[in-house]
Amino acid sequence: MNGVALGLGRLWAIALNTFREATRNRVLYVLVLFAVGLMGFSIVLGELSLHEEVRVIKDIGLAGISLVGLVIALFLGVNLLSKELDRKTVYFVIPKPLHRHEFLLGKFLGLAVTLVVLVVLMAAILAVVVEIEGGRHDLALVRAEVLVLFELLLVTAVALLFSSFSSPYLSAMFTASLWIIGRNSAELRAFAGSKKLADTPLGTVLDGAAAVLPDFHLFYVSGASLGGATPVSIHESFVSWGYVVEAGVYGAAYGGICLLLAMVLLARRDFT
Amino acid sequence: MLEVEALGKTFVRGFLRRKTEALRGVSFAVERGEIFGFLGPNGAGKTTTIKILMGLIFPTTGQARVLGRAVGDRSAKQRVGYLPENPYFYDYLTPVELLDMVGRLYGLRRAERRRRCDELVERVGLAHAARRPLRSFSKGMLQRAGLAQALVGDPEVVVLDEPMSGLDPIGRKEVRDLILELRAAGKTVFFSTHILSDATMLCDRVAIVVGGRLRETGPLGELLSPTVQYVDIVWTAPDGTLATLDSLAGEHTSTSEGRVLRVPDLAAAQRALAAIVAAGGEIRELVPHRQSLEELFVTEARAVGRSLE
Repeated sequence: MNGVALGLGRLWAIALNTFREATRNRVLYVLVLFAVGLMGFSIVLGELSLHEEVRVIKDIGLAGISLVGLVIALFLGVNLLSKELDRKTVYFVIPKPLHRHEFLLGKFLGLAVTLVVLVVLMAAILAVVVEIEGGRHDLALVRAEVLVLFELLLVTAVALLFSSFSSPYLSAMFTASLWIIGRNSAELRAFAGSKKLADTPLGTVLDGAAAVLPDFHLFYVSGASLGGATPVSIHESFVSWGYVVEAGVYGAAYGGICLLLAMVLLARRDFT
Repeated sequence: MLEVEALGKTFVRGFLRRKTEALRGVSFAVERGEIFGFLGPNGAGKTTTIKILMGLIFPTTGQARVLGRAVGDRSAKQRVGYLPENPYFYDYLTPVELLDMVGRLYGLRRAERRRRCDELVERVGLAHAARRPLRSFSKGMLQRAGLAQALVGDPEVVVLDEPMSGLDPIGRKEVRDLILELRAAGKTVFFSTHILSDATMLCDRVAIVVGGRLRETGPLGELLSPTVQYVDIVWTAPDGTLATLDSLAGEHTSTSEGRVLRVPDLAAAQRALAAIVAAGGEIRELVPHRQSLEELFVTEARAVGRSLE
């Protein structure tokens, strides 16, 4: 038990440092930008939409949380390891009494804490703006925000995997490409199963790709998914906690595999 | 405490997979309680060896052990403190935060971390800058912060890669004193350097590595030849007798101190002294030269250079 506590202490030491780095590099300044942007948008769109101000603000706000979070997760995720190598801080930290996998998990945990703080603060700003416009930041919106957070954590895990063997630039390209494909996985499946491609080798490859690549569409709840299999919307009550948990389990499993692969790659890497 | 056996490392670089052999068959052992100097010119393989010992890179051949355990073993790391060459730290942290983070990694409790922190910033002379971010530090101050973080876990073995690098003469003396204090406290110190005077002053034993190969290892007294290699006599004389004395056997040069006569041994020096005094000259200085670490070092480096040619 004592060993577990010490292990968690080491993870926390790395995580706390990663969180400090993110906050001291003024990552949280994007919150101000988000707040100002959201208020500006809400005023403009409130003028343009008829009796749908709250709905528009929720949509824009959620999209904003997702987009801002995505940029931060991508930027910090791909730089998480390369920065340690570029700045040679890895020479100082790896010889300390911790396992290499603890270092990697600690870095991930630190970034996860940063993203949680970021999403919670952005959600709070959105709640304030919604309240000002006379709406209610209800549980459906909370569930949608939780899904956005899950998506960001998965993006971070994927970015961390790529950054464990490639440059930040390539890692960002790979991760962004996977995110775009993953967000459109429903369309990809529909395309693979279309009349022209069904039962063709290309159709099989596309179907396989849709099955293997991360399904980011699962976390995207504004609107209905193609094919009607999982119709979800933040404006309806049928975005259930069950769905959120299901998506969370998927994200945790996929992200866990990414982290495991990254640990294997890191375990034999030479820090020259 | 630290053992390397037939250690070899070949780096494979670039698209064409070019191979560079950084280490070949290096073996030595560092004993408990000694100060062991790891000497070699730049690019000799010192940092590569240390990086293998610290689990940063993996050897291509051979093996390394730390405190009897395989490199990378967490419980062995717990008993080792390490200062990397040209240390780079998280520059947004203050020394106090850096030491606190390292204390957490060593599993120290909060009160113990705080106590070690205060003690170490004081000991390395950073108390005045304890709450300033490391990004505002000079190279010498970073080196001091590096030394402090290497000692947070109260290690049994301290591995220092070029600890004097970037320090002014006062800083170097302080580091030398610190290394001696560590030995007095029963710690084992392994440090690399290419500054030979530091090694001469501090080390119980040294290993000399050149071109990735171990050339010598042992106590300095055994490695250096005790025999006098030549003797320098610094003398002056009235103008009238200069011509006579200049014809004495040996190598003649001039310095601001006077004329210098270099003779091959002490017997020749005694004969020259008698001649100078007899001619009315005055002896300013008599310096017998024995082999220095620097000469041994240069001899070894040249020998490797010749064998590579």
